[in-house]
Amino acid sequence: MITLVADIIQAEALGTLGATLAGGATYWMPEQASEVAPKIDWLFEFINVICYIFFGAILILTVGFSIAYRRRKRVHQDKSATHHTALEVTWTIVPLLIVIVMFYMGMTGYMYLDTVPENAYEVRVNGQVWSWTFQHPNGAVEGNQVTLPMDRPVQFIMTSSDVLHAVFIPAFRVKNDVVPGRYRTLWFTATKPGEYQLMCAEYCGKGHSDMLARVFVLPEEEFQIEIARLAQEYMDLPTEALGYYAADKLYPRCASCHTVNGDPGTGPSFKGLWERTQAGEQKFTNGATLSQLQKQGDGFYDPAMGGVQNYLRESILYPQKLINEGYGPVMPSFKGQLKERQVDALIMMIRELETYFEPDGSFKPQPENTTPAEGAAGTEEATTPKQDGGSPEA
Amino acid sequence: MTTIPVPPSQPVTPELARDNYLTYTRGIWSWLFTLDHKRIGVMYLCGVLSMFFVGGIFALLVRTQLLTPEGAVFNDNANYNRAFTLHGAIMVFLVIIPSVPAALGNFVLPIMLGAKDVAFPRLNLFSFWLWMAGAVFFILVLVNVDGGLDTGWTFYTPYSTTDGMAFGGVLWAVIGVFILGFSSIFTGMNFIVTIHRLRPPGMTWFRMPLFLWALYATALIQVLATPVLGITVALLFMERLFGMGFFNPALGGDPVLYQHFFWFYSHPAVYIMILPAMGIISELISVHSHKHIFGYRFIAFSSIAIAVFGFLVWGHHMFTSGQSQLINVIFSAITFSVSIPSAIKVFNWLATLYRGSISLNTPMLYALGFIVIFAIGGLTGLHLGTLATDIHLHDTYFVVAHFHYVMMGSALIAMIGGMHHWWPKMTGRMYNENWGRFGFALVFIGFNVTFFTQFALGSQGMPRRYATYNGMVLTDLYHLYHVISTIGSYILALGFFVTAGYLLHSIFAGKRAPDNPWGGRSLEWQCTSPPPHDNFKEAPTVGDCYDYSVLEWDESQQGYKWREDIERPGNPHVSGKDGHA
Repeated sequence: MITLVADIIQAEALGTLGATLAGGATYWMPEQASEVAPKIDWLFEFINVICYIFFGAILILTVGFSIAYRRRKRVHQDKSATHHTALEVTWTIVPLLIVIVMFYMGMTGYMYLDTVPENAYEVRVNGQVWSWTFQHPNGAVEGNQVTLPMDRPVQFIMTSSDVLHAVFIPAFRVKNDVVPGRYRTLWFTATKPGEYQLMCAEYCGKGHSDMLARVFVLPEEEFQIEIARLAQEYMDLPTEALGYYAADKLYPRCASCHTVNGDPGTGPSFKGLWERTQAGEQKFTNGATLSQLQKQGDGFYDPAMGGVQNYLRESILYPQKLINEGYGPVMPSFKGQLKERQVDALIMMIRELETYFEPDGSFKPQPENTTPAEGAAGTEEATTPKQDGGSPEA
Repeated sequence: MTTIPVPPSQPVTPELARDNYLTYTRGIWSWLFTLDHKRIGVMYLCGVLSMFFVGGIFALLVRTQLLTPEGAVFNDNANYNRAFTLHGAIMVFLVIIPSVPAALGNFVLPIMLGAKDVAFPRLNLFSFWLWMAGAVFFILVLVNVDGGLDTGWTFYTPYSTTDGMAFGGVLWAVIGVFILGFSSIFTGMNFIVTIHRLRPPGMTWFRMPLFLWALYATALIQVLATPVLGITVALLFMERLFGMGFFNPALGGDPVLYQHFFWFYSHPAVYIMILPAMGIISELISVHSHKHIFGYRFIAFSSIAIAVFGFLVWGHHMFTSGQSQLINVIFSAITFSVSIPSAIKVFNWLATLYRGSISLNTPMLYALGFIVIFAIGGLTGLHLGTLATDIHLHDTYFVVAHFHYVMMGSALIAMIGGMHHWWPKMTGRMYNENWGRFGFALVFIGFNVTFFTQFALGSQGMPRRYATYNGMVLTDLYHLYHVISTIGSYILALGFFVTAGYLLHSIFAGKRAPDNPWGGRSLEWQCTSPPPHDNFKEAPTVGDCYDYSVLEWDESQQGYKWREDIERPGNPHVSGKDGHA
């Protein structure tokens, strides 16, 4: 009881204070970073006030009666009324009127939340176990992070490649399920530049709690520069930088299943994967082994003829074709979500894993003194690929 | 005042007259094959409490895991997923749904009604066997047959029906759910027929104790809603095993359809849990304040109203699932309509307390605790029924806190309160009152520390069913709340261990219970403690079951008896219709 009261007092104290605190965060609600967030919070607080009044009354009466009318003699003969129609009708009608108001405000707020304005900036969102892909209209593709403009309606057009997921951005107060086989939408207008959390809110299995993404909100001009850069970033990179790019930007989407330090995961670890593939050690659930396949057919899997690259590329784009023994057929296809150059980058990364990762699996940035690539189109940017990532602080 | 004649089915020999239902016959088989509703009720209670223990262990594992952002217990997230799934599935299907109707209801309903047994005693026994059979499937899942169960208790498709996603244990679990469904349907049918057909003369509908009204409303839901669950899990089974495309879009199905089917049962199931709990509270509040229940008819009809409206609100579980705007708005509106009958009950209980003679013993403390907890659980339902705020709160810990306030803090607390209320009647023993109050204090404090924290945790954005919460923007804040919540769960667990301890102690060393320790007026308090095999040695008197003015304290037997200055109506030897069907 004490904690309860303390919680509520703290809630209200912080609630009033919170309006002046960073971004409108209160005891109850996180930072407000979208145009709709203050409206939702106002309604939430309105319901809270009604709850406090009713709960306060119920608590005072329960405790008060228990003390005032505690049993003193053995048997108490009571003569008070056993019903009172006027009173009972009153306490039926009054809550009814209150909830009608509440319903109406909830409905109008919801209709606003669910009606996408025209000319919203459209981002296509794909959820699959256990990562997010965001595609911009200009072709830029981001994984587990998305860069968005400020003060402009943004619409997510979402679908899932496998099971149910849900996009939830607490700071924007928006959420919608991502359902396989249909498009779902979500819209908001971000009002503050910054970095926000996006999470999967519909249970989707083992990696559910790893299915996180960051939302970077930038002012319009910075956004335009950043999004143009994102559309080109891997195209402009010199070949030497591609592995770093993959390790920094692409691997996080693989990380919920594939480790780089040899630890077991939902899928085979990337550590030693290149060597295992060269030696053809993989055994598949259909009974074949890679070493057999390497000797068969047109040499597609033959290491001497680029078979290692072929195998890895096929595993990324058509993962259901060959399933490693001991693993489930859970890997989603990344066809259409990764450009060919990005697939190349991943294969380069897997080939020389130690170059790009520390032994504990953390990203090892490209040494600063690397000379800029001669032939590549990249200039300054190409030398510091690790720092791009849509850094919103810029 | 009318007499109900309930003659014993066989001549009462002095030998049998001394016996009670516990000692009537002996041996394990006399229990497993008993047709006595009281024994079946006691067996249900033992089963439900054992499963409550198992489900509780999983709850503690889940809470302990969340002590640190990286997860303090399980290295593999799949194990955490198994733990929260088993916690939910066991608590819902094996504990809360059967706890009040099947365990307490079976014991109390026929005696309260003035009948010798339920209408179909054999069907009643069959229900119990089905419950045990269903439990066996859950135990199989528990030992990770086919990888165990990791779908969450909701079995959402296409996750549950996709090979390589959910473990194969889901097939075993849904067989268990299917069987348990029939157990529930048969119990409901039995209760409906019993209340319709076995009411003795004098026991009119509006003389029935409110617990019976609540059980009646519950039974209606059990019979009407549970078949839908059975069909749904059968479809799920066929999709998973034979690849028939009902719900999986890859097979041409619709995953949202599954959610409609599932919640069409599972929302009414919430009322299967809370309605009988409300019925218990109506009894406890009135008996322990020795005051006529206030607004009997409003409470009785509100039970029926909740049962009816409860069928029409399932869509509020799916506000973000992909329903049309119009459907969401309609479901939100009907959801609010359910809040009214619930509010009416709370106000009526408070009015009953007014100018009562309130005894703060253990059952009453649970009842008072119920009012406070249910108020919070009900009021936070407003945030979730309101569409605009639900979008933010959906699938977060706010929802987790809300439904624990209702299902655990209300339904289960009421069940434990009811267990304390009827414990002397069931076992013939009194428990230690001081230990009882201490246990209640721990449970009440532990519960609120655990779950009140989770409201803010959820509104701050922490999603449910997360094995870890590291690497998020608000990880530090979530960590603080999770730690507080986990500490609360340990206090709560301690409270339950204390409760289990003194209750077990009372069976072996408790004082003998009087026939009427609390001064209850409904019929079960007129028979001996524990009741005889045929419930009533002499015909009980049906009167106003909330009129306490005819009872007085009897120091010699430490219980209540009929006042000597008021003539006790009724002739114990009038014969009438046989209680059995």
